[in-house]
Amino acid sequence: MGWLRMLNALATGFTRDAVVELSRQKGEPEWMLQKRLQAWEVYDATPAPLGRRGDLGTLRTVANFKFQQLTPYAPVESTALPAAIQQSLQQTLVDGRSGLIVQHNASVIHSELVEELKEQGVILTDLESAVREYPELVQQHFMTDCVPVTSSKYTALHAAFWSGGFFLYVPAGVEIEQPILAQIWIDAASSAIFTHSLIIADAQSSLRFVAEYTSHIAGNQPSLVNDIVEVYAKQEARVEFSNLQDLDQNTWNITSKNATFDKDGSVTFVMAELGSKVNLVNIGAELKGNGSAGELVGVFFTDHDQRFSISTLSDHASLSTNAETLVKGVLTDQSRVEFDGMIRVRPKAQQTASFLSAHGLLLSKKARGEFIPGLEIAANEVSASHGATTGQIDEEQLFYLMVRGIQRPEAERIIVQGFFEPILQRIPLEHLRVRLRRSIIQRMSGTYETEADTWVDAQERWEIEGVDEGAVHFDKPRADEEIILQEY
Amino acid sequence: MGSELIIKNLHANIEGKPILRGVDLVVKQGEVHALMGPNGSGKSTLANVIMGNPKYEVTDGEIWFKGENILEYSPDRRARMRLFLAFQYPMSIPGVSVANFLRRALEAVREGNKPLEEGENPTGKMQKRKTVPPREFRTLLQAKMRLLKVDNSFINRSINDGFSGGEKKRAEILQMALLEPEIALMDETDSGLDIDALKIVSESVNALRGPELGILLITHYQRMLNYITPDVVHVMFEGRVIKSGGKELALELEEKGYEWLKPTQEENGVAANA
Repeated sequence: MGWLRMLNALATGFTRDAVVELSRQKGEPEWMLQKRLQAWEVYDATPAPLGRRGDLGTLRTVANFKFQQLTPYAPVESTALPAAIQQSLQQTLVDGRSGLIVQHNASVIHSELVEELKEQGVILTDLESAVREYPELVQQHFMTDCVPVTSSKYTALHAAFWSGGFFLYVPAGVEIEQPILAQIWIDAASSAIFTHSLIIADAQSSLRFVAEYTSHIAGNQPSLVNDIVEVYAKQEARVEFSNLQDLDQNTWNITSKNATFDKDGSVTFVMAELGSKVNLVNIGAELKGNGSAGELVGVFFTDHDQRFSISTLSDHASLSTNAETLVKGVLTDQSRVEFDGMIRVRPKAQQTASFLSAHGLLLSKKARGEFIPGLEIAANEVSASHGATTGQIDEEQLFYLMVRGIQRPEAERIIVQGFFEPILQRIPLEHLRVRLRRSIIQRMSGTYETEADTWVDAQERWEIEGVDEGAVHFDKPRADEEIILQEY
Repeated sequence: MGSELIIKNLHANIEGKPILRGVDLVVKQGEVHALMGPNGSGKSTLANVIMGNPKYEVTDGEIWFKGENILEYSPDRRARMRLFLAFQYPMSIPGVSVANFLRRALEAVREGNKPLEEGENPTGKMQKRKTVPPREFRTLLQAKMRLLKVDNSFINRSINDGFSGGEKKRAEILQMALLEPEIALMDETDSGLDIDALKIVSESVNALRGPELGILLITHYQRMLNYITPDVVHVMFEGRVIKSGGKELALELEEKGYEWLKPTQEENGVAANA
């Protein structure tokens, strides 16, 4: 546990002195201190983004957030896994994982990786240790090409104050089948928590990484998560990064996720945005390598006063690149969601194929969604299509289900499930799919969880009993008469 | 005593426009009634209003089923009383499999007419329901599918999604067979079917026919009645049932059309002045 030392929390508010103190406490090399200080200058000099006139105002809301009331650094002293994380770990990935890394508030408190992968040269550690132990890799990749310090005011703030963080390096040719699980657990009130995932997949390697964000902030003072994910897919590398964001209603979330592609690299982002009070999401694919392919599968669910702003970018910069962005979400109560989906095709990016579709389903008259697709095309051999819509739930569909005896709330839930199901099918990890279904249904049913469980259990029973056809006796059992029950 | 659906002087509007102008009709369990009439006479509206489609506003009259005035009941509660509507245009619901949907529907209908109106439960949430075990459900569904000669592949598909016209109508009949209604309204079940599909659907309806099932068969043409013999034939015109008779009335309509049944101008004039 060499990375964990006795550290002191900093005073409230973001200042240059706090940057220096943080770096000093961590005993960082000079280059990292300089990087932090440069980032601080950028943060200080950059105005907060305010969005467009007439939008739903999420960016302005974030800009007015009282950043100076936050503690910029909230380390923990115990390396014990909080009970909530232990419980969550039991629910997830029971059938194996390659590694596990856990951040509690500002500190990484646990990291493990199977021996076999260690022997193959895979590195999974906290980012602070990586700065000391693998300075070249970090210097080359940390907030340089993928999410540069200067991307926005908030990425600059992150670069100045980051702490903890995950570092994963997969050497050339190493293929990791079982996912590596990352858990972020936050319970520090009035704090800014900076979380970072730096993932480097070297040539012809492959990996799956699943990050889950949860928080439980007591009291009325909100905390802020400022998160950055950087994925480097080197030549022919394949990366699958899944993200389940289930922060509580007392947490604000700002996240920038980007992937940088070398030749024939491919990255799939799975984004499940369920929690947080105000949520600012930027997620991109920088298709710089010839033949690279990016995929984004996104799901969100908003209720109460949640406000989301989700921006995606498929940035085609090379020959023969593909991108597919699929986002679906449900909005209820007074929640608001802004979605901006951009496809950019640069002059050199001939033979581009890019597709974007985003759909918001409004369950409440008070919910508001603004979905805007964008296209910037500067090459001529391009196949690109996009569509973005929002709409109320179909009353005729509801009537149809109700005429079969199903009450309205459940009919709505069935329609929502049907709405999400095609996109859930695109999520490669089964346990994540099941968890998402469960989360969505629980959100639809409020606190009445038993009903959600019966649906999911029914689903699982179908799946289990469906293959157990031998136990069912028909009058004349015949292969072609068997009802094969699939996951619907 | 069998269940009765009694409609008294029913008036209903859509977007302020009157469609039903005083419908009187009685359908009993075990009987097959054909409801005929030209386009726009209000047949489909009647079916929708009986099931409580919120698009329509009932301005006058009563609907009684099993001794209760169901006019204020939600569509799902009416269905749980074992009223059924086979839709003229069944909705497709992508992403929801027929199997899951039918099992939920069966569970709901088996709960029966409980006062589960929205709002009565202060949380607005579901009561914990008694589930139908998958095996029992599967066996039951299997039997019904065999009876109706429905292909097994049906049930893992999304509800009506990508179904042909004939498949949609057969899926409606399958639902009817499974949910075992006491009174079923069949809205233009014959429309859009070629002659082979019409035969299959008609055979299915005949297979379900019996003392436990009353049917109101809404049809524009007489042709379905070649296969399904009604006990009573009603003719609807401009929002009213203007004539009722035996099965021979359908043949008469086939031969003469609807013109001869139209109220005379004199009658209309009287009605307008009154």
